[in-house]
Amino acid sequence: MFNYLVRRILYAVPILLGVILITFVLDNVMTSPDEKASRVLGPKVMGKARVEWIHNRGLDLPLPTQFARHLGKLARLDFGTSWQTQRDLRDVFLTGALPSLLITGPGFVAAFCASVSLALFQVFVRNSPLDRGLTLLSVGLMSVPTMVYVIFGQAILALWLSYFPAFGFSFAGFGTVRFLLLPVTIFIFINLGYDARLFRAIFLEEINQDYVRTAHAKGLSNARVLTVHVFKNGLIAIITLVVAQVPKLVLGSLLIESLFGIPGLGSVLVQAIQTGDQPVIMASVFLGSVLYITGLIATDICYALADPRIRLS
Amino acid sequence: MTNFWKPPRQMDKSVSPISRPLNLFRISDFGLRVFLLCCAFALCGCDNNPNPPPYHERRADGSPWVVRYASLVSDPKSFDPQFAYDVTAQRALEPVYDRLLDYHPMKADPFELIPSMLEEIPKREDAGEGKVSYLCALKPGILFHDDPCFPDGKGREVVAEDVHFSFQRICDPKIESPFYEPLAQRVIGMREARETAKDAKYDYDKVRIAGFETIDAHHFRIHLSEAYPQLLYWFALHTTTPMAREAVEYYDGLVHDGTVRPSIHKFYTVGHGPFRMKEYVPRQRIRYERFDGYHTSVFPSDGFPPEKAQWLQQFAGKPLPLFDELHFAIILDTIPGFVLGRQGYIDGITANKDAFAAVVTRSQELTPKYKARGLELEKVMMPNTFFLSFNMQDPVVGKNAKLRKAISCAFDVATYCDIFYNGVSPVAQQLLPRGLFGFDPNYKNPNGYDPEKAKRLLAEAGYPNGRDAKTGEQLTLTVEEPADGSELRQRAEYEKRAFETLGIKIIVNENTHARVLERLEQGSFQLGSGTGWMADYPDAENFFFLFYSKNFPREGANYCRYSRPEFDAAYEKMATMENGPERLALIQQMNAMLDEDCPIILQFSKAYFSATQPWARWTHNNPIMEGGFNKYHQVDAAERERLQPEWNRKPLWPGLALGALIFGGLGYAIRWNRKSNV
Repeated sequence: MFNYLVRRILYAVPILLGVILITFVLDNVMTSPDEKASRVLGPKVMGKARVEWIHNRGLDLPLPTQFARHLGKLARLDFGTSWQTQRDLRDVFLTGALPSLLITGPGFVAAFCASVSLALFQVFVRNSPLDRGLTLLSVGLMSVPTMVYVIFGQAILALWLSYFPAFGFSFAGFGTVRFLLLPVTIFIFINLGYDARLFRAIFLEEINQDYVRTAHAKGLSNARVLTVHVFKNGLIAIITLVVAQVPKLVLGSLLIESLFGIPGLGSVLVQAIQTGDQPVIMASVFLGSVLYITGLIATDICYALADPRIRLS
Repeated sequence: MTNFWKPPRQMDKSVSPISRPLNLFRISDFGLRVFLLCCAFALCGCDNNPNPPPYHERRADGSPWVVRYASLVSDPKSFDPQFAYDVTAQRALEPVYDRLLDYHPMKADPFELIPSMLEEIPKREDAGEGKVSYLCALKPGILFHDDPCFPDGKGREVVAEDVHFSFQRICDPKIESPFYEPLAQRVIGMREARETAKDAKYDYDKVRIAGFETIDAHHFRIHLSEAYPQLLYWFALHTTTPMAREAVEYYDGLVHDGTVRPSIHKFYTVGHGPFRMKEYVPRQRIRYERFDGYHTSVFPSDGFPPEKAQWLQQFAGKPLPLFDELHFAIILDTIPGFVLGRQGYIDGITANKDAFAAVVTRSQELTPKYKARGLELEKVMMPNTFFLSFNMQDPVVGKNAKLRKAISCAFDVATYCDIFYNGVSPVAQQLLPRGLFGFDPNYKNPNGYDPEKAKRLLAEAGYPNGRDAKTGEQLTLTVEEPADGSELRQRAEYEKRAFETLGIKIIVNENTHARVLERLEQGSFQLGSGTGWMADYPDAENFFFLFYSKNFPREGANYCRYSRPEFDAAYEKMATMENGPERLALIQQMNAMLDEDCPIILQFSKAYFSATQPWARWTHNNPIMEGGFNKYHQVDAAERERLQPEWNRKPLWPGLALGALIFGGLGYAIRWNRKSNV
């Protein structure tokens, strides 16, 4: 296992270098230094002021020199400073991770539990009109864009029914929860349809296995067969799909955070893309790839832990 | 012998929770009903007000503490007055830092300067050899906010040296002040100070600006190398606001005694305005509290608009600010702003594209729903002008005035404004927007929409029906279009179709706005869209300089590369003159020259509607500070307290209905399963 892990981490290094190189090249191909300066300083700041701004950030240096500097900084985990807000990016990422996790963490767990429950419930009432109705509902939930969920959530639950704040966030102890309820609910609904359909298919495959027939023959109730035997065996497949997502939760949800004013990393990235804040975009892409690779490695480990037949070598 | 076989366990139907259908009306399901009710009540008890509680409930005198809730569309880039140039930063700084001069909050046509930190508007003094000076007198007794950077934490008095320090900071290359270049062109000694600052660590004690003469604690004189009446408008910008050197040195962003002090260049303020900044949480909010030591200005007693004059009389001469706490919610998207406005949690609704149909009728009135709620509609006319720019150095359009005029006459700006601005933004008839000296409300653009004239001019230009009279080839023009989103693409499409009515072929180069600007700067274009100008200060010079031949890119914004010696001569004369009949005549001449040469296609001046809450009726509508003038705003807290709960009632039935649905589904499932197991 240890050797396998070391090998996987070493494989990750060229992948990361590739990601950094591609984002760097894309950034420089897509936007010239003048364009970057114009986006940050505004179109009215011209001439010497713009030239100085470009010079102070080393954007007038040859590209290989710029890339070497960029790599050196990343190696020291020095992400630099936001061009738009002047904030140190390490601070931005550290302070942004918690609000993001407060949305995606509970949302992910609740969506997982709800999807598994719904999938088991559908298996429980399989082939009934209710099962078909729920399948249709899941397809509907999958098809609705995130933006629509947010708009309807804000319009109905926040504006019409006045149950939740439509916007905002505050670290206020238990009071923080009220800001999270609506975004988390929406996060659940966004994932529910897809996950429930997928998990239902996994559980349905399990329900036709021999061990299920044996369990029934032993006189176990439907509920016990489903919640203990089918659930446990189905979980192996589910883990492989789910664990890879966990590290990425830190990056938050782009749209939900932006539209609810949650100061997480998702909204940082959206704002950076909209305003051409190059250091933030580059650092976010780097962080995203690190987390994605971590997720893939974690999946392999969990797979081996969950299924004794799998050996990592 | 061990018996490996066990008989199936008998299921006890009275115990298993899934062995019988759930019945909410049975006594044993009472707990579930209580749970459902608790959920419903929890939802109803969840406060939907996103604003944090105010700093205080009551003032020291027992009267209610009044909070104003407004919004910003982005985070400020900085809180440093000498660096910040974006609109958001200016709005965020305005409550904290007073300016040397201010704009009269009620006078927007024309705009008028009034004293703020200065005793009076400085008078121009001729110093010989074309040089001029301005003697300025600071009001005595203006205090910096209390802060640990001052001895005993007590804010000291603002003195003339603090203004000099601000000018020094503008010269400091580390600050990267975008205001340096235009000021250094006129204020004597700024360039020398900059050069010194480049060489070594900038020593503020040694490097004085020659053109800044400190007379005593409250008097200073600024010496200019040439006449520049616009300097007074610079006094109304944050860039020249006095800064406390102690604060800048104290808040250096470094660790002192184990504690990181914030950097004043980024996120900290030590001002002298009507409010102190108490909290800034990026991407969430900025909060300010009234500064009790503020006595710099009072509510004006003149200039009231007739329709509000009677109501405004109650505030005349009152000390400022009129409320105690200011809360800016940072709302990056337009929809949440509209929702919060509808709920009454911010004090106004901007009728942007998403909210327009809900707030404003086709006849540009408030919709009945909002009228019934007591909101009022205010139209904000921005001091800007948008236009398309011709490249005057282009061999096709640059040398053919009739062709440019023909293209201009083919563009139906009124329909364009109807489609893309709901008819709110007025068609621009001249370069200057409303509110500036030289703006003529009766003036009509001679190159405005006239399809017949356009065809005639095109024929006279040598392209009858859009074809070259000599070769017969169809005329092809390229338009640089910013197309960052779907709406901008629609605008590009509209412009293409408008020009193609002439029979010419239009090629649209879609790009980001920044890339379009880059092409305009390089001069590699024929016709550029998305250009225009927002007044930095309300003076004709700030618009006509866009066509001054010494302002070609990259140093200036004369993207058209318009060059006409008569225009330059008139501009140079006009720029240094005080407003008066002679200056007006020059402005008219320059307007006529632009009409004759047609280097731009005039489009519109931007305007928008804002609906104000019944408790936050606007005392003023002055667009020059883009939502500024906070200290003049008023809020009726009692009215808000009465209406807010009315607008945010929480019905109980949806929670109960949802619970019933879920448990009904469960009951059905259990019944169905039992039936299928029989």
